[in-house]
Amino acid sequence: MGEVKKVRTVCRNCHGGCGVIAHVRDGKVVKVEGDPESPISHGTLCSKGLAVTQLAYHPDRILYPMKNTGKGWERITWDEALDTVAQKFRAVMNEYGPESIVIGQGTGRDYESHLYRFANLLGTPNVLTAGHMCYVSRIGATLITCGNLPISDWNGDPRCILMWACNPQWTNPDEHKGVDFWRAYKKGNKLIVIDPRKGFLAKKADLWLQLRPGTDAALAMGFLNVIIEEELYDEEFVDKHVNGWDAFVDRVRNYPIDKVEEITWVKQDLIRKAARMYATIKPACLNWGVPTEQTLNCTDCTRILTGLMAITGNLDAPGGNAFFVPPQVRTVSEFSRHRDLPKEQVKKRLGGDVYKLASRVALITPKVAWDAILTEKPYPLKAGLLCGTNPVSTRANAAEAYAALNKLDFLAVIDFFLTPTAELADIFLPAGTWLEQNHVADNWKRHGYVLARQKAVEIGECRQDHEIFMELGKKMGQEKEWWDTVEDALDYLLEPTGLTWEQFKEKGYLKGEQVYYKYKEKGFSTPTGKVELYSSVLEKWGRDPLPKYTEMPESPVSRPDLLADYPYILNAGLRTPTFFHSANRMIPWLREIRPDPIVEIHPETAKKHGIVDGQWIFITSPRGRVKERAKLNDGIDPRVVVAEHGWWYPEIKDPGHGWDISNINLLTDNSHESMDPVMGATNLRVLLCNIAPCEDEQEGSR
Amino acid sequence: MKKVSLMFFKKDCMGCHACEVACKQEHGLGIGPRLVRVIEKAPDYLPVHCHHCTKAPCIASCPTEAIFRNELGVVLIDEERCIGCKSCMEACPFGAMQFDDEKEIAMKCDLCVGRLANDEAPACSLVCPTQCIFYGDTRKLLEKLDKDLFQ
Repeated sequence: MGEVKKVRTVCRNCHGGCGVIAHVRDGKVVKVEGDPESPISHGTLCSKGLAVTQLAYHPDRILYPMKNTGKGWERITWDEALDTVAQKFRAVMNEYGPESIVIGQGTGRDYESHLYRFANLLGTPNVLTAGHMCYVSRIGATLITCGNLPISDWNGDPRCILMWACNPQWTNPDEHKGVDFWRAYKKGNKLIVIDPRKGFLAKKADLWLQLRPGTDAALAMGFLNVIIEEELYDEEFVDKHVNGWDAFVDRVRNYPIDKVEEITWVKQDLIRKAARMYATIKPACLNWGVPTEQTLNCTDCTRILTGLMAITGNLDAPGGNAFFVPPQVRTVSEFSRHRDLPKEQVKKRLGGDVYKLASRVALITPKVAWDAILTEKPYPLKAGLLCGTNPVSTRANAAEAYAALNKLDFLAVIDFFLTPTAELADIFLPAGTWLEQNHVADNWKRHGYVLARQKAVEIGECRQDHEIFMELGKKMGQEKEWWDTVEDALDYLLEPTGLTWEQFKEKGYLKGEQVYYKYKEKGFSTPTGKVELYSSVLEKWGRDPLPKYTEMPESPVSRPDLLADYPYILNAGLRTPTFFHSANRMIPWLREIRPDPIVEIHPETAKKHGIVDGQWIFITSPRGRVKERAKLNDGIDPRVVVAEHGWWYPEIKDPGHGWDISNINLLTDNSHESMDPVMGATNLRVLLCNIAPCEDEQEGSR
Repeated sequence: MKKVSLMFFKKDCMGCHACEVACKQEHGLGIGPRLVRVIEKAPDYLPVHCHHCTKAPCIASCPTEAIFRNELGVVLIDEERCIGCKSCMEACPFGAMQFDDEKEIAMKCDLCVGRLANDEAPACSLVCPTQCIFYGDTRKLLEKLDKDLFQ
């Protein structure tokens, strides 16, 4: 056995960012440890990152390119694989135009720079990402409201933490990780938790507001009402830096506290207490999670919460919600070459005339892609390239996603495993894990850091995603726009810092020089230079310039007619720390911890249906039926059922891999009426359902 | 030699299971034995682990004297001597004893003795995001816990 070499790198089992020391012996990673010098994770590492050796060396992992012969998968060379993709894409471009090719990715995985560069140079405006309902939607809504994404400044010592629909220690891996939150909390600072489910943080909180799922925007309006009525806002900030204050105040008055109590189920005294606490303790930071985005209130809810940060004087304040200054690296946006997508192609972006905010951040909502594939309107999508995404598990109305991807004339997939989505492809391109890549990581996040993710090993014929886009680009006539090697491209990214990739690797990370209160000199980067609580952009688009709460399209309030058959609110998409969306179900260490999909039911509710703890049950919505294993939890409202998302069964070897057994998105809706009107955010969270025990043994097994 | 201990401040365990995977990796374990594990009953999470008890029932229960304590106070199993009778599993009040189905012998937390020899802390204690796992000199640890956590 050879010596152990230690490689300092950065995890990406989720969005990534945690520092890792990889132990390499004889060309194989034998162990990973947290990097104590990491400014993001401070030596800790989660179960997913710690299990990376079981991911990288998994027996089912695909280590070479393959083609789908119709009778099964067959190994081919990289040349044949990339030539096939290029040839198919060229044929579609000649017949239909580049817009008939859809390029897609899932959650942020540090290759959007390369994916977008490839798509823009190809000339397709149709890039499909998770961004319509996750993070990018937040960026879009804050861009038009205050010019940038405000991030919790944990290290600035927030004295009050308003944790809104987020559990950063379990799952929310944007920017900073749960460790920095925990350090801030442990200094003895106040904690307010907004969560329909009593979790660890709700237990720790000074105040816990258990709201009806999907009513976040109304609750935030309640906060604003108290703060405005009791004059707890920062008058100077409002006078100088808010656009449309009077109109905004009028809108807020539409949400008197008794009405908010009725909508949200949260007692008005508690709302008052929480609003006072958040508004009067300085500095205070508001840390939000994706449930605020994954409904039709996406843009408005983000805007209302931004309003809370702004009028309490916590925007760009130390210990509040800061606009972090990035290091001088070339931005993802510049690398992506968005400006080189011809204007006439931008105009062809699917749904771009309706979902204008999505179009502004250069993406499409899946619904318009599925429509274009299935109905060929407004024009057909014929071919696709999907990277690190499993839409048949993770997108609303999974049945439609499956049908659409199945109908594409040609589909190529970049992934580690043959997922249910990859099984629908014609060409499989094997991606390298984070242990197999060199990259300037975290450049897309807004926490002021970039991190050196450096290659520890190479496995099989796998290539890092960035290289795949680069080599495919070269095959598609983009030779002059790419580099010889992945590292040459990194030198270009790093150029403004004066560092080469080799030098950056040695440093490990770069941090921007943080300056607070930048608006005092420069104003906010919005058309009026102010925080646009009254949005001039939305007004120009013919939309309501003021934010509001819209009732969920399928709730006890909006659809009382459904209550006889579907009496419960399904709070879908519960995240767990061992999995990341639909990933990791094949990792033995992680699956042992969570062998089955869990649906949480209040003990009283379970009793009514004769359901016992641990029993398999059916969950039905007006659109379908799936099964998960019941877990009784008295920390949820008896009217609410909470179910995990992302489940498929890699151990089922037929090509469907059980994608339709426990897939909560067979129950969700993606009709245009159910989506955010400007962002196209799908409602992955709140709908009506019923539950019933699986009666016989066959039903009760997978 | 000074005695060492591993302690969990259970109130701060938030059920991320990182300690479990760190342990599996360190000991090269597959599915089966879980030398540390976290039981979930939201909002409570209960880490189950070996306390290396001062009066260890597992040691007392072992008919072949396969379980012993080393000079650091760590309770260990001599694999050669274990006959797989599971008496220790019955005896342990914490449910910390595990069983290796392949070797058909008992298994338990060894406090990462290999790491301790290199002056490294047990693997689980390093990854915990809430720092609810403490390792160190037993006497000092008790003083620290008393001061930091209970006052």
